[in-house]
Amino acid sequence: MESVFGLVGDGFAVVAADTSATSSILVHKTNEDKIMKLDSHKLLGASGEPGDRVQFTEYIQKNVHLYQFRNGIPLTTAAAANFTRGELATALRKNPYNVNLLMAGYDKGIGPSLYFIDYLATLHKVEKGAFGYGSFFCLSLMDRYYHSGMSLPEAIKLVDECIMEIRSRLIVAPPNFLIKIVDKDGAREYAWRESIKEA
Amino acid sequence: MSRRYDSRTTIFSPEGRLYQVEYAMEAIGNAGSAIGVLARDGVVLVGEKKVTSKLLQTSRSTEKMYKIDDHVACAVAGIMSDANILINTARVQAQRYALAYQEPMPVEQLVQSLCDTKQGYTQFGGLRPFGVSFLFAGWDRNFGFQLYMSDPSGNYGGWKAAAIGANNAAAQSMLKQDYKEELTREEAVQLALKVLSKTMDSTSLTSEKLELAEIFLSPSGVVEYHVFSSEALGKLLTKFGVNQAASSAE
Amino acid sequence: MKLDTSGLNSIVPFSGTDDGLEENIHLAVSSFQLPRTTDFDGFQKKAVEMVKPAKGTTTLAFIFKEGVIVSADSRASMGGYISSQSVKKIIEINPYMLGTMAGGAADCQFWHRNLGIKCRLHELANKRRISVTGASKLLANILYSYRGMGLSIGTMIAGWDETGPGLYYVDAEGGRLKGKRFSVGSGSPYAYGVLDSGYRYDMTIEEAAELARRAIYHATFRDGASGGVASVYYVGPDGWKKLSGDDVGELHYKYYPVVPSPVEQEMVEIPVS
Repeated sequence: MESVFGLVGDGFAVVAADTSATSSILVHKTNEDKIMKLDSHKLLGASGEPGDRVQFTEYIQKNVHLYQFRNGIPLTTAAAANFTRGELATALRKNPYNVNLLMAGYDKGIGPSLYFIDYLATLHKVEKGAFGYGSFFCLSLMDRYYHSGMSLPEAIKLVDECIMEIRSRLIVAPPNFLIKIVDKDGAREYAWRESIKEA
Repeated sequence: MSRRYDSRTTIFSPEGRLYQVEYAMEAIGNAGSAIGVLARDGVVLVGEKKVTSKLLQTSRSTEKMYKIDDHVACAVAGIMSDANILINTARVQAQRYALAYQEPMPVEQLVQSLCDTKQGYTQFGGLRPFGVSFLFAGWDRNFGFQLYMSDPSGNYGGWKAAAIGANNAAAQSMLKQDYKEELTREEAVQLALKVLSKTMDSTSLTSEKLELAEIFLSPSGVVEYHVFSSEALGKLLTKFGVNQAASSAE
Repeated sequence: MKLDTSGLNSIVPFSGTDDGLEENIHLAVSSFQLPRTTDFDGFQKKAVEMVKPAKGTTTLAFIFKEGVIVSADSRASMGGYISSQSVKKIIEINPYMLGTMAGGAADCQFWHRNLGIKCRLHELANKRRISVTGASKLLANILYSYRGMGLSIGTMIAGWDETGPGLYYVDAEGGRLKGKRFSVGSGSPYAYGVLDSGYRYDMTIEEAAELARRAIYHATFRDGASGGVASVYYVGPDGWKKLSGDDVGELHYKYYPVVPSPVEQEMVEIPVS
């Protein structure tokens, strides 16, 4: 079952997500990227119905790009998160999107940040957050082992512990995970954690 | 010949001009002037009030300066009734942006959105352009202190020092002459007052005929908009020695 | 003579089976039939699902070295009733692109036709064939705009474009996945079993076609809603080609010929003493 989680470290933010695309008992694929790169310094991890997830994150991504083309400056992570929340809130009473989001970004002069946005358009600025069934396991893990100002190796170790916990305790655990990070040098893929290989 | 082309805003004259827009600019040429100067640590706006009658009671403390949002203010020259409409739309835009993004609207975007409105009135049928020019002073985290000037056509640009309203050409050339890079706010005030005193039609510069406002950052890093009181302005005029009958503009 | 007053009598309402379609209130006058339900939306949905054919299906497609193989069964069923054994579940969108059909037959057919039109218009407007990526996104966006309105489609768009072979899974919930290997329909778990174990990227076309055929056959063997003919298509650089269409009944006897088994014990007459 879906698991998306992330945390803020010293000068960077990490987002990790499973890579399974499923419908009922069937796993359609195990290399689906659920962490979108919004712009050079923003990541958007999403969980929810596949249709809504893709449509909504693409919509947000295109709007973030449009803003940059129009105004020549990027949105701050805070502005992008608030914009996303607003879009989700306006859609909520019309045709709601069933998506939960974790937005990570790095802004000059502000540093890394992580925002938690659920499908009801709740917005929180957080140090660590998680969605999906995996959240039951990794939230407590992160509560226990997270501390502010974590170094990258420390953070990745914690992320790996979360992944291992999900794999070992969640009955319908996804096999593969993807970890992405964002820091002053931009947003990028960090590593895959694969226990099965897609053909 | 030109009669056929100036009755509508939407039509170019054979020389490629939009007469209605030019007439609007003409209207501003008669209005009380305003000068803006960009300083290292802030932006200064001064305006000349046209005192029409001693009996007139002004309802506001300022009639040429308007705060658009916490971080942007503007000075107006032109038809005030037109200006009120635009100021209102600018304020609405600024609040809309804050609602969507929970952060202050970048200054240039605010100016651009207002100028888009102005532009619309030079193109779409049956409407006349706004007879207003603006000076916008503001601060944002991307580009710091900024000064913009806009005219009825919807054109705008960023300036280090700019003048609108009566005798703006003369004021502009004086500013060009006397402007120095990296001015302090106080120097900017001095420059603006000096230029205004020399280009005003009336012979004496008194605090009743003037408005002075500043935008700057407080020590805690918060943007502040400050309008000088009549008394403070009077003291400044004496200090800079511009309250005496000044030589009129060339 | 007695006056005939029968015309004044109320007409007895039609009474039928308890399938939820009749009203249970006996009105004095005949009226519209009303479903006997409080959850009308749910009833309507169920009613629509009931009359939709081709609910049970096995379709599959995969990319390999030489291109894409697309394969499907041909059975259409309405509940337990087999309404057809010769349904074309692989829809030819254009010479380079195929779509597969699972879910509602009409929904699939209509939207694939619609996609075919859009692809052709794209071709005329841009002087080049649409990519599989583009075509599948076109379909997914349409289906997404109809989400929650009862469409029932699970399809794969397979084809060959300027970037080579392409394969996408698209469903009526708006989902769209890019992949190398998919199977859709009630028989898909069975098909996946055979497909996953037998798949290699560097198969020959013949091997790939046989794998697809075998996967469909095994799905039809276990899944009651799949059956009929196992069709196999291949899409390569020169467009698609139908490779085979075999009756799964015949395939069964081909894969598992009847072997006369030795009799373990023969009954013999016990001589009466």
